[in-house]
Amino acid sequence: MKILVVEDDKETAAYVARGLREQGHVVDHAANGRDGLFLAGDGGYDVLVVDRMLPGIDGLGLVRMLRESSVRTPVLVLTALGGVGDRVKGLDAGADDYLAKPFAFAELLARLNALARRPPLVDVQTVLRVGDLEMDLLKRSTTRAGREIDLQPREFQLLEYLMRHAERVVTRTMLLEAVWDFHFDPKTNIVETHISRLRAKLAQPGVPELIHTVRGAGYALRAPGSVANA
Amino acid sequence: MPCARRGPLRTPRVLRTTSFRLAALYLLLFTASAVLLGAVVFWVTQATLTEQLKTRVETAHRHLVEDFGSASLQSLVTHAVDYGRGAGALDYLVQSPDGKRLAGQLPMVGDQRGWLRLTAEDQDGRKPVLALATALPNGVVVAIGDDLRRIRRAEEAVLRAFAWGITATILLGIGGGAWLSHVFLHRVDTISRTAEAIIGGDLAQRVPLRGTGDDLDRLAETLNRMLDRIETLVDTVRQVTSNIAHDLRTPLSRLGQVLEDASVPSRSETDHARALDRAKTEVEALLATFAALLRIAEVEAGMQRAAFRQVDLTSVVKTVAEAFAPSAEDAGYTLVAETAPGIAIDGDRELLTQMLVNLVENVLRHTPPGTRIRLRVGTIDGRAVLVVEDNGPGVPEAERDRVLRRFYRLDQSRSTPGSGLGLSLVAAVADLHGAALRLSDAQPGLRISVSFADTGRSAG
Repeated sequence: MKILVVEDDKETAAYVARGLREQGHVVDHAANGRDGLFLAGDGGYDVLVVDRMLPGIDGLGLVRMLRESSVRTPVLVLTALGGVGDRVKGLDAGADDYLAKPFAFAELLARLNALARRPPLVDVQTVLRVGDLEMDLLKRSTTRAGREIDLQPREFQLLEYLMRHAERVVTRTMLLEAVWDFHFDPKTNIVETHISRLRAKLAQPGVPELIHTVRGAGYALRAPGSVANA
Repeated sequence: MPCARRGPLRTPRVLRTTSFRLAALYLLLFTASAVLLGAVVFWVTQATLTEQLKTRVETAHRHLVEDFGSASLQSLVTHAVDYGRGAGALDYLVQSPDGKRLAGQLPMVGDQRGWLRLTAEDQDGRKPVLALATALPNGVVVAIGDDLRRIRRAEEAVLRAFAWGITATILLGIGGGAWLSHVFLHRVDTISRTAEAIIGGDLAQRVPLRGTGDDLDRLAETLNRMLDRIETLVDTVRQVTSNIAHDLRTPLSRLGQVLEDASVPSRSETDHARALDRAKTEVEALLATFAALLRIAEVEAGMQRAAFRQVDLTSVVKTVAEAFAPSAEDAGYTLVAETAPGIAIDGDRELLTQMLVNLVENVLRHTPPGTRIRLRVGTIDGRAVLVVEDNGPGVPEAERDRVLRRFYRLDQSRSTPGSGLGLSLVAAVADLHGAALRLSDAQPGLRISVSFADTGRSAG
């Protein structure tokens, strides 16, 4: 992917850029809002990482201007302010995701992957398929290898999210936000518990595991035989 | 400056007080009015007595002239002599037409007629006399006068009375003023001393009350209430500071140990990996504590009230119960939710969710497995009420207020995990929503109820 990082803090910028380059991405860096706007305006990037507080044009102003000039590139806003009102403002300005500092690199990477490959909104998929797992969003039914799996509504949502992001790492935090709308970190291992229950329901004798734990990052739903890519 | 209270500065200080100045002003006004009154009394007394004297002289004069003026000169002289006899008698003079004294002790009047001020002599010496002199048709001049010293004596009595009165007034005024100032100063000093002691660090000091309910007592009560509030705040800050120190120092020193241990040259790659993992865990815990502190500060600042929307409490409770039930079950707890449909309030859904999560996690962390957790949402007297109840060991009544404090933990040894901030955030969120947070005995266990001021109207 080609990623633009707009961040004035050199340490953070270098940390993010190095990590992303190690993952094989092409990274450009802008140290202020004006340069960021100039570079991003070309639209040649797959995803933008924008700091909330920037010299010159601030992060939200930058996102707003990009959206006004019809640049649709997905934007992830980084911020030291993790408040609720703050996040709502960020999303209102046209950002696609919001991540509070300090963050784990795995979290940033997973979110960028999710953003870059987010299917266009016009795409109305009604059936999701990963390997022998099939989910009918209209009938709200799930089958594995043709066998009906009975899921609780929340388990259905969890699996749907994993299937929509199949072959990619999703973090605990992403699941908490997407499935339960929890924008904070509970101390209890609720994600782990729900994943393990879901695994148990998907498990059948002799068929391979679909939900994989990615150590230090989160989970990934992979079709058997697919090449694992973080 | 307490040293200024003793020694030569003491008297001037009394004189400088407001009450003394007020007393001095009153004293001045009072003295002035007493002097004015004295002058009026003096003048009225003088006028009245002079009038009486004149009347007496006129009457005597008329009698003498009418009764005896037409008779022989001899009988006039005889009667006039009678007038001059006895105590309090009038003085007289009968003067022949050619200006010779015929009788009487008054000085010769010559050609003067009418009211005259004369100086006569008697056995006591010279005396002032007010006399009326008239000439009879035969040319004989008759003058009758009275001693003015009687009036002078009355005047002197009046002056003396007022002089004594005014002196007493001034003395009493100065004394009373000084006494009042002293009493006032004493009480002000008491307040100052209390303040000085508090400045010196003894926050438990309070201004003593006299119990009279007067203005100074009321002031003292207000000051004491303010001091109570300040003491609570300072206590909180002190406690929070020492707890922050403790709660942050412990993981930081553990982190230091891990890193130091890992930097020993003989350590293998596996040891390093393990050390890094442990260091990461410690840092994450520290960051979580900071995040919680910032979150509470943010909520307490009340900045989010503007973002209030209608929140379906019932669905919040259902979501949290659903999210936590599996984990709770796995850990050996039972989590049940009893929800009335469609209870809605104005609020912040995310904060309310976090509040409920903190309440649930509080039970999970501080009760043994096997505990039953009940979440309830409903309305009581038209108010939306959220209740989290367990049948665990509960919280002693004396501790119930304290557990809401930042960093407060029943487990003083802090051997169990957790930041001691969970319930503080709950309290802050409840406060932001204008809700009353109450901890009570669930017999057995702890019941925490949050009653919202909002009417729990249907979410529709």
